[in-house]
Amino acid sequence: MASQSRKGGKNRSGEEGVLARVTSTITQSSIVQRGKVVASDAAFVTKKLLKSTGKAAWIAGTTFLILVVPLIIEMDREQQMNELEMQQASLLGTPSVAPQK
Amino acid sequence: MASHIGVVPPPMTPAKGNEPKTAEKIDYLNLPCPIPYEEIHREALMSLKPELFEGMRFDFTKGLNQKFSLSHSVFMGPMEVPSQASETIKIPTAHYEFGANFLDPKLMLFGRILTDGRLNARVKCDLTDNLILKANSQLTSEPHMSHGMVNFDYKGKDFRIQFQLGNGALFGASYIQSVTPHLSLGSEVFWAGQHRKSGIGLAARYNTDKMVATGQVASTGMVALSYVQKVSEKVSLASDFMYNYMSRDVTASFGYDYVLRQCRLRGKIDSNGCTAAFLEERLNMGLNFILSAEIDHWKKDYKFGFGLTVGE
Repeated sequence: MASQSRKGGKNRSGEEGVLARVTSTITQSSIVQRGKVVASDAAFVTKKLLKSTGKAAWIAGTTFLILVVPLIIEMDREQQMNELEMQQASLLGTPSVAPQK
Repeated sequence: MASHIGVVPPPMTPAKGNEPKTAEKIDYLNLPCPIPYEEIHREALMSLKPELFEGMRFDFTKGLNQKFSLSHSVFMGPMEVPSQASETIKIPTAHYEFGANFLDPKLMLFGRILTDGRLNARVKCDLTDNLILKANSQLTSEPHMSHGMVNFDYKGKDFRIQFQLGNGALFGASYIQSVTPHLSLGSEVFWAGQHRKSGIGLAARYNTDKMVATGQVASTGMVALSYVQKVSEKVSLASDFMYNYMSRDVTASFGYDYVLRQCRLRGKIDSNGCTAAFLEERLNMGLNFILSAEIDHWKKDYKFGFGLTVGE
């Protein structure tokens, strides 16, 4: 019964159709088997790589946050204070210029 | 040509026809006094080992007089309890500490008492110009955990000698001598009666205006090298290498120390996978805000603390 509903007809019951024969030859060929093994290995390696990259990114990120971010913030504040002081010095330090209100 | 401390032109006048050397000659009779032996790693320790803590800390110092001051301090946070298992157990504790300091040019007294019954006391007394007596004791309510120590320091022209006596039959002596204006060498011996251990150690320190390099070897199996470079007057970088040849333990660490006008920031990273940062920020006159962070990636132990320090 199943063979009658298959496309590419002219099937007699008990014999495999042309399509089934072709697909089974393809799936059982060695190159496809090899391809499957390679694909599963690649998936395994990619998963491991992503995990370890994730771990490395986490460690690098938290270390950067602890070591570098306070430094950037403080250096920025220092620079702002220096600019403010220079501005004030230039306003008050030159007596020839009338002080601006 | 950086200025050399303690260099004096040679006492003999050059003969006629000889021009004096353009390089300054070192006067070996006039070397500077070296740093005390226990402070030989001082710069590296200041940068690489700040007082990291976990929890909240509040310190208040009130000066009653020019010489006398009181201090109140509150600490709340988890304290690590050493346990047999590899996991460290943290127990939240809180304590209040009261202290009194007396500061005189010749005498310094320092005492602290905590609510869990511990008492710390320190005395530093200048007996004469060159002889200093220091005593230090810590008393607890637990039996056999109290200890005390007395030091006698003699400061010579270009050397220092120190004798140490502690409870539990602890005897120690150390000697350090300036060999050139930049290099000083020292050694120490100690004997611990209670543990039946004795040891000998050697240390060397080379410093210029811009850098300090120290090395220390001890018969307990410790080799410690450190190098501090002062990159500018606000920034210094430090690195430290410690190797224990008995237990084959190696640790290297790198750190920086930024002293800016409003704050002081120290950061370090370790070969044990541990990174730490310590920030002291001046919010106002006499008001300091402290933040401390320590992340141990290996043991997955994270400690953060904040605090406030009030008083000069």
